Amino acid sequence: MLKKPVILVVEDHPLIRLSALDIVNTAGFAGIGAENADDAIRILEARADIRLVFTDVEMPGTMDGVKLAHYIRNRWPPVHLVIVSGKSVLAESQLPVGSRFLSKPYSDSAIAAELHRLLGISTDGASDLSL
Amino acid sequence: MKVLQSFHIEPAALSLVLAVIVSSNEPLVLLDGNLKVIGASNSFCSAFQIDPATVSGKHIAELGQGEWNVPQLISLLEATASGAAEVHAYEFSLFRSGQDTRLLVLNARRLVYDNKEQTRLLLGVADVTAARANDKLKDRLLLERSVLLQEVQHRVANSLQIIASILMQSARNVQSDETRGHLKDAHGRLMSIAAVQRQLAASSLTEVELRSYFTQLCKSLGASMIHDQKLLSIEVLVDESCVAADISMSLGLIVTELVINALKLAFPGHHGGKIVVTYKSDAEDWTLSVTDNGIGMQSGADSAKPGLGTNIVEALSKRLEAEVEVANANPGTSIHVAHIKRAIAPTARAV
Repeated sequence: MLKKPVILVVEDHPLIRLSALDIVNTAGFAGIGAENADDAIRILEARADIRLVFTDVEMPGTMDGVKLAHYIRNRWPPVHLVIVSGKSVLAESQLPVGSRFLSKPYSDSAIAAELHRLLGISTDGASDLSL
Repeated sequence: MKVLQSFHIEPAALSLVLAVIVSSNEPLVLLDGNLKVIGASNSFCSAFQIDPATVSGKHIAELGQGEWNVPQLISLLEATASGAAEVHAYEFSLFRSGQDTRLLVLNARRLVYDNKEQTRLLLGVADVTAARANDKLKDRLLLERSVLLQEVQHRVANSLQIIASILMQSARNVQSDETRGHLKDAHGRLMSIAAVQRQLAASSLTEVELRSYFTQLCKSLGASMIHDQKLLSIEVLVDESCVAADISMSLGLIVTELVINALKLAFPGHHGGKIVVTYKSDAEDWTLSVTDNGIGMQSGADSAKPGLGTNIVEALSKRLEAEVEVANANPGTSIHVAHIKRAIAPTARAV
């Protein structure tokens, strides 16, 4: 059996992080969580199997999600990026090319569809997307 | 009266002209064709700290400590004197040593009158320093307000995300299909309200156009709550009304509750049907109605009530100073929420 693609979820709110990890895992991926940008960078440095980073924009710490996304794009160019924010409109020009933006509150199916699209895995896999 | 003779004007007329200029509340300077001052208003002299006794006969460049000797200004005035240009709302910063810079708006024109050989310029000076500072302050406050508003929107979105997360996590974990259905309905409701919240946040307008708002709301409600959209449809008939954002929010929540209620109660057994949302206004008065062509009110007193959302609808209607009325639509049920300011005879209301 193939190993599940690993997705890093960066979200400072524990409840939202837990739920986002649940969405990721339900969609057939292996989710790991990070509380903030620094935490995320430490994890990315420590392991090479992360395919996608799913990050919130508004986070405490030295970097917000937009800065983190640019940092990742520079340092680990192959890693896909999904960015979510409570601000309804973020200028596309602020985000790295090729990254996807969704506004909060997001629905499970919208996130799952985006993850499958970016990682090129068909949606009729083993995961249940009806929720 | 040496000065008067040198200008070859009837002494009384010149004296009247000078008196008018000197007493003008607006800072004014009358210049001859060589930009020499004939007269200046007291308001000009006091505003720019020039001794009124010293102005007459001086070149404009010599006024005060020479702060008016600015090449652009002089060339503009010379062009005006020669008839080649006119100084219209020319913005000019007046620098004086030891004093704040004043921001001025200058207007100058060549005067047209009987004596064609003489050139006379009238220069008007408006000090807009305070007005500009005010504008700047206003801009800063507006910016601060929009930053605060963004912060609030972000918090609201985050809170909605937490609730959405809890609902969906619960839906994934419960065993009962019925409960899962309820949780998913609640999630759909939340997402539809969030979509509207987003629309409101994106428009910086203080007023919301109800037709597009209700159309989007009903579309979103239909997408999340109706299983077969070919069988069951929601129609929106709204006039050109625009209302304040907070009022639109209350109206939107009432529509959400009434539509969900109709979807739940009016069409058992998956027969087709239609729900119509209408909003009409006439000056202060307005009526919001949600009508379905479903099974109608049952004879029991309980079923005539709008069910789960009753409290929400009643509380919001009260806030909008509106009355809720449930009527038989034959077939189906019609619920009217009406805000009527005009006094109506009690008999007319007893429907």
